[in-house]
Amino acid sequence: MSASYLTDGLTIRSWLATTDHKRIAILYAIAITGFFFVGGAAATIIRLELATPAGDLVGHDTYNKLFTAHGVIMVWLFLIPSIPSVLGNFLLPLMIGASDLAFPRINLLSWYLYVAGGLVTLAALFLGGVDTGWTFYTPYSTMFSNTWVTLVLVGVFITGFSSIATGVNFIVTLHALRAPGLTWFKLPLFAWAIYATSLILVLATPVLAITTLLVVAERLFQVGIFDPAFGGDPLLFQHLFWFYSHPAVYVMVLPAMGVVSEVLPCFARRPVFGYRAMAWAILGIASVGFLVWGHHMFVSGQSPAASLAFSLLSFIVAIPSAIKVFNWTATLYKGAIRFDAPMLYALGFVGLFTIGGLTGLFLASLTLDVHLTDTYFVVAHFHYIMVGGAVMAYFAGLHFWWPKATGRMYHELWSRIAAVLVFVGFNLTFFPQFLLGAQGMPRRYHTYPPEFQVLNLFSSAGAGVLAIGYLMPLAYFAWSLLRGAKAGDNPFAATGIEWQTRSPPPTHNFEIPPFVPPRPYDYDAQESGPASGLEVKP
Amino acid sequence: MTRDAHALPGVEPDAGKLGMWAFLASEVLFFGGLFVAYLYGRTHWPQGWSGASRHTDVVLGTVNTAVLLTSSALVALGAAAPARRLSARLLWSTAALGVLFLAIKGVEWHAEWRDGLVPGVDFALADTPGAEEFFALYFVMTGLHGVHMLLGIALLAVLATGARRDRPWAQARQVEVAALYWHFVDVVWIFLYPLLYLVSRHG
Amino acid sequence: MAEPTAFRREARAIVLAWVALIALMLASLGSATLRLGAFNMVAGLVIAGIKTAIVAWLFMRLRDEGRLLRLTAATGLAVWCVLVALSGVDYLTRASTTADVERPRALLPVSASAAQRGR
Repeated sequence: MSASYLTDGLTIRSWLATTDHKRIAILYAIAITGFFFVGGAAATIIRLELATPAGDLVGHDTYNKLFTAHGVIMVWLFLIPSIPSVLGNFLLPLMIGASDLAFPRINLLSWYLYVAGGLVTLAALFLGGVDTGWTFYTPYSTMFSNTWVTLVLVGVFITGFSSIATGVNFIVTLHALRAPGLTWFKLPLFAWAIYATSLILVLATPVLAITTLLVVAERLFQVGIFDPAFGGDPLLFQHLFWFYSHPAVYVMVLPAMGVVSEVLPCFARRPVFGYRAMAWAILGIASVGFLVWGHHMFVSGQSPAASLAFSLLSFIVAIPSAIKVFNWTATLYKGAIRFDAPMLYALGFVGLFTIGGLTGLFLASLTLDVHLTDTYFVVAHFHYIMVGGAVMAYFAGLHFWWPKATGRMYHELWSRIAAVLVFVGFNLTFFPQFLLGAQGMPRRYHTYPPEFQVLNLFSSAGAGVLAIGYLMPLAYFAWSLLRGAKAGDNPFAATGIEWQTRSPPPTHNFEIPPFVPPRPYDYDAQESGPASGLEVKP
Repeated sequence: MTRDAHALPGVEPDAGKLGMWAFLASEVLFFGGLFVAYLYGRTHWPQGWSGASRHTDVVLGTVNTAVLLTSSALVALGAAAPARRLSARLLWSTAALGVLFLAIKGVEWHAEWRDGLVPGVDFALADTPGAEEFFALYFVMTGLHGVHMLLGIALLAVLATGARRDRPWAQARQVEVAALYWHFVDVVWIFLYPLLYLVSRHG
Repeated sequence: MAEPTAFRREARAIVLAWVALIALMLASLGSATLRLGAFNMVAGLVIAGIKTAIVAWLFMRLRDEGRLLRLTAATGLAVWCVLVALSGVDYLTRASTTADVERPRALLPVSASAAQRGR
């Protein structure tokens, strides 16, 4: 293998003490994958239990601990860091023609903070777990639950600093290290998405941090700011918690949208339709996303006036997302479309995110939410966005930039089969849950009336298919590392500065200063034809 | 490393300063959550809040405010001072005032603990609804502030040592960035002072 | 001799700012001794706001910085204001009764001490 960032130091120490953003991205990828499968194991047991109406697989306390573990791990240890810390870390400097992030050592620190927080959280789960749900509502979490709440929250607190450090790093990098001539409106949309995400990470995460501290303090002091029995207010907790946790979902989805905006133009050979609108929509989603958190509290006792305000704002935040869906669709028009694995995942994102987003509008409507809240309708809605959206986009990005990062191709047919299995398995798992929720099946219940069993069986079967789809990449990516065909610098004939350097890139990214294109996404369906899996000369 | 073709003409953002300001923005939201909890408590338990606040030591609190304001002035001078040795001395003085602040705070806390004002069993003002919540917030807010002070003192001590020896990582640029952090910790206290000590001092 | 004079000018500004800050602190203390009702908190916060403005403008040098840093500082504050304002909508419009605080004795809290205190 010729010299690259992968061969620049072969000891474990050279990896654990690296400040190279590309190596740190890989460290994140390994850790995140581990946590993904732990969270997935919890989900597997949940779906096995829910295949039958009776609570016959696990006891109710264990069930509560399982869905809490699933939520905590998937939200904080997988979804929040995945695209920003893996793809963002790897690609941002490459996309802007820089040799690293603004603060490389803080980048390494952020990985250690993530791992430390993750291990503390896992320890709490192995010591016996937490049964409050990932939302930790008070006063149950502060006054009554005798599970490992404090320890888990300490883990979440530590991980939060990883997020903040990453956000600061990305913001400064984009302001200070762009190549000469690379102005903001020439940046790829993925960079815009990472920037907006970083703003949210910096501004929202600290509120979660202080909220976890207050919950721990309340558990220790038993004072009752969040407990109505003491004259306190459980909604104070919920306001503080959801002030972070709603923007957090945009942390999960904006980078995913950024990935889709990179993949779709490449495999349709068309520039993104309405680039500026897409950039402004990203900023719009991030900013309006701070104004809608009360839609998680419509039935909590929040005032009707506040609920009305939050409902209206939640409808408004859907607008920039809808603009993006329209523009992606328009990007495909008259394109020369090729269904490579990244494209399959990206197209899957557009469809499934649309369903997730539209069902979000149902939930934003006060009258409907009264009936749908805390049912499986909500569970289906957010899984359509988080899994059908964010996870699929993560996989799209992994497949799209895999050749760049590793210098190898993966097996094309197996990757497409896996993508199809994921799509089919996902819909089989979660579409029935919309129906279950509309019929009234509550969430977080470990037993249910027999009339819900058929749909639950479909859902559990789908989870099995989904699991296979998720496991397959482990196999063919491993194969790719060992025996994959060598990839050229730009196997997909993509635009974007990251494709101008070698695959895999040298440690300092660019041997000669890269060429800054006058506009991003300079594709032409007529001229270049479908991208091939082989190297195409630009 | 490539430099940036900046969108705002003529001004190149100093990465360190921008990074510190972005971090301070996050700190505003960090302490900000506590202020929201405080606002809830003050509006919900007005008697408890004013009654409990009277038990804080307003003399020591005022002295500490003066100490911290003075330390901010010193570190501002230290950041502006071109001569590295003068800068180092100013940084050491700031750190020393920081240590003094923490010592006074420790005296306060000890007295409050002795007087049964720490939330928990035997809380002295248990009859007044909200008093215990006030003191819970009091200890969390001043405790968190104190942790930030400790980190700031350590940071300034390290920089002072470097400035004394004219190290490249302890130049005016880096001192200015560290001073930003110190000023922020001062601003937090500027708000803690009236909110914790001055709820009701009349009569 | 450009440097020392510039430093002396800046030092003068810093010392003047310090005098103002101490004066404002004493004003804050003084205002708390007056019976102003709800305006006690307003006075305290307004004075704290002025002190913060002095620290931010002069000590933290926002006076000399460009749009980007000022915007960064303002954004932190603005987002916090959003938190207060929108949750404030809930608190200001929520109907509340001033009934006796209820104590659900059926559910025992985690810590024995809380039960001990007879709450």
